[in-house]
Amino acid sequence: MDKEFIARGVKRCATGKFLLWILPWAALLVFGLYSAGLCLVKGLNQTNMDNRFAFGLWIFLDLTVIALGAGAFFTGFLVYILKIEELKAVINSAVVIGLVCYSGAIAVLAVDVGQPLRFWFTFWYPNVHSMLTEVTFCITCYLTVLAIEYLPIVLKNRRLRDVPRLLVFEHELHKLIYVLAGVGTFLSFFHQGSLGGLYGVLRGRPFAFREGLFIWPSTFFLFILSAAAVGPSFLICTTFLVEKISRKRLVRREVFRLLARISGLLLAVYTLAKSIDTLVWINRTSPESGFQAIQYYSWKPFGTWILLAEIVAFGLVPALILLTPRFRAHTGWMVSAAAMACFGVALNRFVMTVQTLALPTLSFDPFLSYFPSWQEVGTFLAVVAYGVLVYSFSFRYFRLFPEERELRVELAQPQEELELVER
Amino acid sequence: MFPWNYGFEWNSAHIIFLGAFYTVLVVVATTLVSAVVRARRDVRAHHEDEIRWHSDFHDLPAPDRVCRHVLTGEFRRRECPNAFDCRLCETHAKLIARHHPAPAAEQEEEILGMAFPLDRLYHRGHTWVRTEPDHTVTIGLDELGARLTGTPDSIELPLPGASLHVNGPAFRIRKRGADVRVLAPVDGEVIETGSPERGWLLRVKPAAEGEPAFRHLLRGAEIRPWLLREMERLQLALTAEGAAPALADGGVPVADMAENCPQADWDAVCGEMFLNA
Repeated sequence: MDKEFIARGVKRCATGKFLLWILPWAALLVFGLYSAGLCLVKGLNQTNMDNRFAFGLWIFLDLTVIALGAGAFFTGFLVYILKIEELKAVINSAVVIGLVCYSGAIAVLAVDVGQPLRFWFTFWYPNVHSMLTEVTFCITCYLTVLAIEYLPIVLKNRRLRDVPRLLVFEHELHKLIYVLAGVGTFLSFFHQGSLGGLYGVLRGRPFAFREGLFIWPSTFFLFILSAAAVGPSFLICTTFLVEKISRKRLVRREVFRLLARISGLLLAVYTLAKSIDTLVWINRTSPESGFQAIQYYSWKPFGTWILLAEIVAFGLVPALILLTPRFRAHTGWMVSAAAMACFGVALNRFVMTVQTLALPTLSFDPFLSYFPSWQEVGTFLAVVAYGVLVYSFSFRYFRLFPEERELRVELAQPQEELELVER
Repeated sequence: MFPWNYGFEWNSAHIIFLGAFYTVLVVVATTLVSAVVRARRDVRAHHEDEIRWHSDFHDLPAPDRVCRHVLTGEFRRRECPNAFDCRLCETHAKLIARHHPAPAAEQEEEILGMAFPLDRLYHRGHTWVRTEPDHTVTIGLDELGARLTGTPDSIELPLPGASLHVNGPAFRIRKRGADVRVLAPVDGEVIETGSPERGWLLRVKPAAEGEPAFRHLLRGAEIRPWLLREMERLQLALTAEGAAPALADGGVPVADMAENCPQADWDAVCGEMFLNA
C-alpha cells in the first residue's frame, strides 16, 4: 500500500505487519501523553518529587538520553570534520537517534519545569551564572541543528524526491551539512559538559561536588568524555537491534568494529579519568568538605558496589572488550560490551541524580527515598514509545542505512540455475 | 537576553555567553538561508535534472560508480569523479589522447546472444546514440535495456522541442510496477519521437557536434567488458530479488525478462540497471 514511499531496492515488511508493530507503541505514547498532561494541568503534585527531592526519574532520563544521543554529534564530527568516510553508513541513523533523544529530553524537561506557556522565559530572562541556562540554550539550539540535519534525510524520501524544488533544496542543504556538524559539536561539547558541571558545582552536596579547571568542575569533562564514549556504543546497540528485528544486514561488520574501537578507546580514557577523579575526591575533596567518602556508601542500597559497578563492571570491562580485536570481531561480545557501556553511563547519571539527592548532608537530614509515581513512569514511557515510533517510521520510509541495498545485493548468493535463460 | 531586560549587565559573562549563543544562531540561520538561496538559484537555472542525477549517482552502490577505464582494465580501482560525464574528465582526455579506444574488429558485438551494433555509441544507462546522415542523432534502448523491459506497459516520451541534458531524464518506461527514468545520452533538442517498431525512440538535434560532445559515451572495444559487467550486476540484482539466476550454462537472457521472472521486484532491478536511485 505504501510501497511507493519506500526506497527503491530495499525490503520492508507489509503495511499490516508494520501497523501491528507500531500499535502497542502508539498506545504507550497515548498513555504517556495522558500522564504528562496530568502533570502539566494539575502540577507536580502528580509526581513523587518534592522540594528536597527535586530531581527524579525525568532528570535521570534526560541525562541518560542526552548522553546516549551523543552518537549524533560525535559521529557527525567524525564523518564531516575528521572525514572518516566509513561512518557515513550510520550517520543518518545517528541523526535520527540524536533527534529522538534530544526532543524527548526537552519534552520531559518541559513537563518537569511546568508552566509550558512561559517556556520562553528561560530565553528572555536567562540567569547567565547558571549551568542550567547554558544547558537550556545549548540543547534547544542543538535540537534545531538536529532537526535541520534530519531534513535532508526526510527529503530523500522517494516521493519527496519527485518534487524538484525539494530535491534541489536537499542537495544544497546537504552540501552545507558540515557547518551544522561543526556547530553541533560545539554545542554538544558545552551542554554535555554543563550537565556534568551542574552537579560538580553543588557545594552543598559534597557527594557530587568536585574541583576542576578554571570555572569547570571535573564532572564537566567527565560528562563530555562519557557521552562521546557511549554515543558510538549506543549506535552499535540500536543498529544491531534493528538488524535483528528487521532481519536484514544494514551495515558492514567493519563499521561496527570501527565504532567499537572508537567507543572502547574513549571509554578507556573516561574510565581512567573517572578513576583519578574518584581518588582525588576520596582523598581530598570530600574530606575537605567534612565527610569521609566511605560515609556516603553506608546508606543502603548505595554501597561501594555501585561505585565499583560504575567504574569496573560497566567501564573498564567493556572498554577492554571493545579494545581487544579478538572480542571486537565477535558480534556477541562486541554488542554486549556496547550495551554494558550504555548501562554504565546510565548508572553514572542515576548516581549523580538520585544518590546525590538521597544522601543526607546535614546532621538533622534524613536519608531520603524516592520512587516515581505512575504519572512519572508514564511520561518516561512516552519518551521511549515516541523514540521507537519516530525511528520505526524513519527506518521504513527513509534511507537510514545507505549501504543496505548494496549489502542486500552482495549477500545474495547465486545458487540455482538461471531461470531467465533460453537454452 | 537583551540589554533592556531586567538584570542585564555589560560584564564578561554576559558578553561571552550571549556572544557565543548569538554566533551559533547566526551560523545556523545563515546556513539555512544559504541553502534556500542556492536552491532558488538552481531552480531558476533549471539545474534540477543535473542535481537529480548527481544525487542518484551519489546513492549508487560503490561498485556501480566505477570509471570506464576500470571496465577495460586500465585501472584496477577508480571511482568516477564526474558522475559518468567523461567530457569533464582530464584523466579520460589524457588516456584517449595516449591510446584511442580500439575499434572493434566486427561490425557488431554479440554478447550473450544480444546484438550490439558498433555503428553507434552507448550510454551507461542502457541507451544508444547513432549519428544520422542529416547530423541529427537517434536514441534507443540498447539490447539489454530492451530485454529488461520487454514490451513496456507504457513509454512516456518527451514532446518535440523538449531539451535533453546528458544524464537527465530522456523518457520514462513503466513495466510490472517498475517506473524508471531512462537517462539522456546527449545534450540536445528532441525533434521527433519514434517507437520500438521504428528501431529508435527519439531523434535529437545535438547541442554540439564532434567527438568531444560524445566523449562520455562508450564505444568499440569498451562495449564487451562493460556489458559483461552489466550482466554481473543484473545477475546480482536478480539474485537479491530472489530470482537466483546463475548464467553458468551459457544461456542467453530472454527477450522479456520481466514477464519471465514475475516474482522479482522489477522496480528494484530496473532501478539498479538504469541507474535510478
